[in-house]
Amino acid sequence: MVPLQGGLTGHRVQRTIGLLSYIGRRALLGLPLLFIAAFLIVPLALTIIVSFWERVGLKFRPAFSLASYVTIMEGARLDVLLRSIFVAVEATAISLVLAYPIAYFLARKARPAATRIVLVLFTIPFLINYIVRNVAWTGLLGRNGTVNNTLIAAGIVDAPLDWLLYSDFAVFLGLVSTYMPFMIFPLVLSIAAIDRQSLEASVDLGAGSFTTFRRITLPLSLPGIFAAIVFGFVGCLGESAVPIIMGGVGYELLGNTITSSMDVLNYPLAAALSSLVVVLMLILMAGWYLAFDLKTFLGKILEWKS
Amino acid sequence: MRNWNGLNRRDALRLSLMAMAAGTVSIPPALAAGTINFADIGVGDPGGDWSKYKAASGYDVNLVSIGNAPSAILNVLVAGGGQGTYDVINIVGGMQKPLVENDLVEKIDTTRLPNWSKDTYLDEFLGKGKPGFKFIGLGDDIYGVPTVLQGDTFAYLPEKTGKLDSYAALFDPQWKGYVALEDNYTTAAQKTALYLKSAGLASIANPDDMTKDEFKAVIDFLIDQKKKGQFRVIWNSFEQAVNLITSKEVYVIDCWEPMVFVAKSKGVDAVYADPKEGYLLWAMAAYLVKNPNRSEEQTAAAYQLLDFMLGGWYGAKITNMRGYMTNPQAPEYAKANPSEFPAEEAQKVADITANVRRKFQQGGTWQNRWPTEVEFYESEWSRFKAA
Amino acid sequence: MWLLIGAVLLILYMPIVPVLVLSIRGDAAGEWTLRWYHDLWQTALILRALRTTAVVALIVGVIASVLGLVAALSIRELGIPRLILLAMLLPLFIPGVSMGLASALFFRLIGIPPSLTTIVIVQSLWALPFATLIILTVMAAFDPVYLEAAYVAGADRWQAFRDIEFPLIAPGIYGAASFSLIISINETIRTSVVQGPWNTIPTYIWSTYKQVGLSPVLYALMGLIIVSTIVLALSYLVLTRPRASRG
Repeated sequence: MVPLQGGLTGHRVQRTIGLLSYIGRRALLGLPLLFIAAFLIVPLALTIIVSFWERVGLKFRPAFSLASYVTIMEGARLDVLLRSIFVAVEATAISLVLAYPIAYFLARKARPAATRIVLVLFTIPFLINYIVRNVAWTGLLGRNGTVNNTLIAAGIVDAPLDWLLYSDFAVFLGLVSTYMPFMIFPLVLSIAAIDRQSLEASVDLGAGSFTTFRRITLPLSLPGIFAAIVFGFVGCLGESAVPIIMGGVGYELLGNTITSSMDVLNYPLAAALSSLVVVLMLILMAGWYLAFDLKTFLGKILEWKS
Repeated sequence: MRNWNGLNRRDALRLSLMAMAAGTVSIPPALAAGTINFADIGVGDPGGDWSKYKAASGYDVNLVSIGNAPSAILNVLVAGGGQGTYDVINIVGGMQKPLVENDLVEKIDTTRLPNWSKDTYLDEFLGKGKPGFKFIGLGDDIYGVPTVLQGDTFAYLPEKTGKLDSYAALFDPQWKGYVALEDNYTTAAQKTALYLKSAGLASIANPDDMTKDEFKAVIDFLIDQKKKGQFRVIWNSFEQAVNLITSKEVYVIDCWEPMVFVAKSKGVDAVYADPKEGYLLWAMAAYLVKNPNRSEEQTAAAYQLLDFMLGGWYGAKITNMRGYMTNPQAPEYAKANPSEFPAEEAQKVADITANVRRKFQQGGTWQNRWPTEVEFYESEWSRFKAA
Repeated sequence: MWLLIGAVLLILYMPIVPVLVLSIRGDAAGEWTLRWYHDLWQTALILRALRTTAVVALIVGVIASVLGLVAALSIRELGIPRLILLAMLLPLFIPGVSMGLASALFFRLIGIPPSLTTIVIVQSLWALPFATLIILTVMAAFDPVYLEAAYVAGADRWQAFRDIEFPLIAPGIYGAASFSLIISINETIRTSVVQGPWNTIPTYIWSTYKQVGLSPVLYALMGLIIVSTIVLALSYLVLTRPRASRG
């Protein structure tokens, strides 16, 4: 690790060390890939393989059977899958609409000290266990909860509002309040990192603030937007606690139905449901690759060649 | 944001080394000799006090809380390597079929349990030939040690509904939108079946083991009720059910009796119904996890723990803390040892025991955690929830 | 704008109030007590879970942010950015239940018993995409021209990284570490399958929430966490008051 000082050692030694450090560096850089390959790709491949297995009694054995996929297409589970995707898309959209202006304001307009305080404030609620947090919501939003009591006392409503809890509203509230703050961080980081000079140049060239936003800030914050959408969407899609704590009569999302199929040891079905989601996600990502230039998302990272 | 640099590289390195060190120094309890790893769903924890067992056996108990859903248990045992980790697993019984077929638990040699013969509930309710046998046995063999017994019905708020004595209340349009069910086909659906059968609304031979057609009829009925807006919510946890009662969010709720005890302790006048149709009876069982690598000493200590759980002190403690009946020695022990159980607690143990015993004598239907058509149950329940 | 931020924060903090209230409410109505906080130190089960959670979270925070940093660097250096990015994001797209089960089966296959190690691996895997993306968003704005300038000035790779790039992307690394920490202390579903003899706070809460109800002691624990974080956060903010404007 000690940098070699020129002149102290011979060229040959330096070259050997250079080669070694090149190999070492490559190996080090490959580490995360290795980690993913070992602990994710292999289990994932197992999952996909198991989804084609067939069940014999309470066990399952290797085979190539589409039975699990047929079950999904026939039963109520397809509805659950589609509903999960809808809910996740909507909740992510709502969160983004809220998070972007906040992030923009924090990164650009607010004083740095205030920004830091607000960002820390956004983090603190997440140290409270999310189950406890959601349970606390039910106490606030119920028919005799604090919110309804306050509304009634203030004379805004006559009778408790039923839709505050065990409803779509409650599920969205739960999802948005859980995942929206996650989205603010990458947005703030990406907006704050935009070079001030390009903004000033834009203004110098006579562009209005909206034009500057549209032409400079928005495109340059795309990496952050992408990260935010991924965080929000994936979080909402995989969420299983919010729907069962806040949702109405048997509100079921993907995670719940997978757990439920495991309750009867139907691992191939659970694997098939997971595989479907993974394939769906891969298709979405492929579409994203085709539709967008990677450069927009990785910015100057790609310009650098070693 | 520059100031984040305050945490520099060297600090980060030091921190990571410290973390690694912290990871390696704490030895997993599984490796420490003299500890029984005991997986439990929360009901079997005597407030962390295992001193009596420890004094008798020399072994410590490491209690790990797990979920009670079959998936939680089976995932942990089948996939999660739980077989090499846990010695005893205490869950709601009736899981022998999947557990034994997957070779996860061992037969219980009851001769190694001195307290077994003192448990008269076995002869009365749970022994071979009794309907409760399905909670602990399979074929001719015993696999589970009964730790907790109970009969479930539903709870209601008399101030809102008056006295209720039939499961019909769950489906009474009067309480439309003020009813909650448990999210569980082996409880809620089976109670519904019991109701439909006794009201003559559906022809169901055995509510505890329905055919596909019978179960489909139950689900169709529930979906119809759901569409009419009968239910406020389908609850998923103890905590949620207690909150539904104490906040008076619903007036009639399919639930467990200890929830009512908690609600009462918080000053809410809730009543656990005694419906004319009878009770949903069930028992918890402690299984001995099959692990060929376990030493004979460890197995002996596990047996000692199972026996300890059939004993008076443990039984009285659990009845007092969780509100379930445990074993016949419990009320006697509590009464005989006022230094450990004050009169008030001993009375509580006696009352709960007498009440649950009455339910078992009265009967109803025995919860079936693994009915013949369990997969069909599960997929139909999904249909109900998605409807 | 402050109004919107205030409203959002209000919503985020609303559920914390009942938690605090429940942590100091006694058995009898209208009675207030610190008893649960006292009892917390006698509840061995919770204390052990707390220790496990803290140790795991610390390790995951370090591992995930270091791996995330290396992953972000490798996206730039190894010449296959799409493949690496895709691989890094993959853990996000697998439902937690399935991931827990798949890794549990895998660990069993290769003979790693459930332990702190398996918990750390499963959680690091889950935190890695978050960490990588955060570091990438910061890095995306970093101009390699600076690095070239450093090379021209005679710095080697390591020096250039250490003295030029690292300080500039440090906010991202800090963010990645705190994200990973938060993810770790909330992770339930993947952990529960591979936890073996260790309960973490979330798996303990989930089990008691389901079967016996949340005890006031748990609320006290949450209360303690809230109060101590607020104190820590405040002191952090005071100690690191920016002297210059943002860079």
